[in-house]
Amino acid sequence: MLRLEVPVELAALEAAQDRIAAYLAESGVAQASIQRLRLVVEELLANLVMHGRYAIQPPPASRLTVRAGAEGLCLVVEDAAAPFDPRDAVAAAPPGSAEDIRIGGLGLKMVRQMAEIRGYGAGAPGWNRTELWIRDPGEGP
Amino acid sequence: MRFEVVELGPTAQKVVMIGRLDATTVGMVETPFTATVAASGKSVVLDLTGLEFLSSLGIRLLLSATRVVSRRGGKVVLFGAQPMVAEVLTAMALEQVMPHVGSEADAMALLAA
Repeated sequence: MLRLEVPVELAALEAAQDRIAAYLAESGVAQASIQRLRLVVEELLANLVMHGRYAIQPPPASRLTVRAGAEGLCLVVEDAAAPFDPRDAVAAAPPGSAEDIRIGGLGLKMVRQMAEIRGYGAGAPGWNRTELWIRDPGEGP
Repeated sequence: MRFEVVELGPTAQKVVMIGRLDATTVGMVETPFTATVAASGKSVVLDLTGLEFLSSLGIRLLLSATRVVSRRGGKVVLFGAQPMVAEVLTAMALEQVMPHVGSEADAMALLAA
C-alpha cells in the first residue's frame, strides 16, 4: 500500500502520478492499468485545485492511498474541500458536432470511464473520502 | 508541452503535439495553439505521435480548436495517438467531432473526403 500527501496545486500533480506509477510498476501492475490510475488521479486532483472550496487557507494537502491486490487496483482520495459527490454530478454527453461541445463535465466522464466510484462520504471531521476501483482495460462503465 | 506547425498547402496544416497535455501544461500552450489554428483558416491534422498524456483539460483545448476550425468550414483530424491517448479519445466518444486515424496519410485522406 502506498500513502502520500499531495499539495493542492497543479505543479504537484505530475510528481504524484510518477510516484504512484513507480510504486505500481514495482508491484507488477500492468502499464495499461497504471495509465488509467494516472488519469484518474490527474482528473480528481486537478478538480480539487481548480474548483475545490476550502475553509482553511492554504488548503490542507490531499491524502491518497493506493492498493494493488488480487481484488484489483484501489484509490482512496481524502480531501478537505467542501463536499462534492462525484456520483451525483452530471458528466458530459458525447458531442454530435463541434457546435454541440459541452466543455464542462469532461473530467468526471473521464473518471467514470476509467474507474468505478464505489464510495463517497465523510472521512475524518472536515474531510471527504472517495473510494475508486480502476476498471480493467477494455472494460467500460 | 509544445507544438510545431507544418504547412501542408493552401488548405491544410499539420500541428505536431509533443509532451503532456494536462491541467499543468495546457495553460502554456492554450493561447498560442488556439491562435495558430484560428488564424490560419485551414483544416488541421493533429500529429499525436509525440503526445504522452492527454487529460480532460487537454481534450477541452482540442475541442475548442475544433469548434473554431469547424466554424470556418474546415475539419480537424487526429492521427498517431499512443495507446493510452487513443484509449482516452475512444472513452470520451469524440470520434464524430474529432476523428482519429492511424497515419498521416489516412488523416489527409479523411480531410479530402
